[in-house]
Amino acid sequence: MCVKSVLVFLCGLCPMLVQAHDLQYTATQGEATILRLFHADDSSFHFEAYEIYREGDSQPYQLGRTDGQGRIAFLPDQAGRWRLIAFSEDGHGLDIRFTTDAMARLSGLDKPFHERHASLLVGVSLILGLFGILMLFVRRKQRP
Amino acid sequence: MHIPDGFISPQTYVPAYIICAGLWWLALRRVRTRLDEETLPYIAVLTALSFVLMMVALPLPGGTTAHASGIALLAVSFGVWTAFLAVSLVLLMQALLFGDGGITALPINALAMGFLGSLTAWLLWRGLRRIQARAALFLAGWMSVLLPALLVALVLGLQPLIAQDDQGRPLFFPFDLAITLPAVLIPHLILGLGEGVLTVFGHHYLTRLRARHAA
Repeated sequence: MCVKSVLVFLCGLCPMLVQAHDLQYTATQGEATILRLFHADDSSFHFEAYEIYREGDSQPYQLGRTDGQGRIAFLPDQAGRWRLIAFSEDGHGLDIRFTTDAMARLSGLDKPFHERHASLLVGVSLILGLFGILMLFVRRKQRP
Repeated sequence: MHIPDGFISPQTYVPAYIICAGLWWLALRRVRTRLDEETLPYIAVLTALSFVLMMVALPLPGGTTAHASGIALLAVSFGVWTAFLAVSLVLLMQALLFGDGGITALPINALAMGFLGSLTAWLLWRGLRRIQARAALFLAGWMSVLLPALLVALVLGLQPLIAQDDQGRPLFFPFDLAITLPAVLIPHLILGLGEGVLTVFGHHYLTRLRARHAA
């Protein structure tokens, strides 16, 4: 009698156990901050690893890999400042900070000091300028 | 090859800064006595060229990108110390203006590309130029890319061993040597061929130009 009761109990439990391991899903539409990572030649930083941290936290809030177009869809749970670290196996990557509100609207993003093409000219000008100044010193030193 | 900020542990970049500072000081002392009105414009132009070359990313098979550097051309034309200082200046400006290569990673990038790259190119050029000048220049260019890439791969791949949290997870760059060595070296094997060709033609053109100006 006792054995029968146990068997009946186990049989009743089986559907519950199966249900516990059955993965469910829902699909909804929502707002997300989209971050796109790309190389200087505009080729995408695709399928590469990234981690997003709430500023000051050591545990990541979100981690994964960029999609085929180098994008990350980020859904914050609250307004705040976030840190994105992305890296590929060959040592390319970035470490930037951005700010969103709770509705995933972007309100701040780290940017390089200048746009890339302008920076190229600024860089070349600075190098030539520095060497120009150096030339003045060398000339003064070489004069008798 | 530029390592960004956040990838390198303080246990790595602090000693690297100390070594690099010593080498910068030594380089400044050596170069100061050798600079003259004739060579300075050439060094300026090659440094600017190196800056531009490092900004032009070339797509490589496998989805990654790499860039030429002109480091070997600087080293074989003006010596290791001049090339080291010039490349360090380029790396500093890239870090400040573009975020290409971080400030914390600057000494690693400078030691790898600026010092090791220049030294490799200069030694190969000096050692082999009497046997076959063009082959020596090509090898100088190729190896000036490959050996720094090896050093960068080693530094990156050792980060998981150097800095970990309480549970053994890497605090900085997460991939180990088994991943970084092929990921960094294979693209640079291909890129180095281009650097070799650039060094051969660049040196040939520069030598003719300097000879014409000297005449």
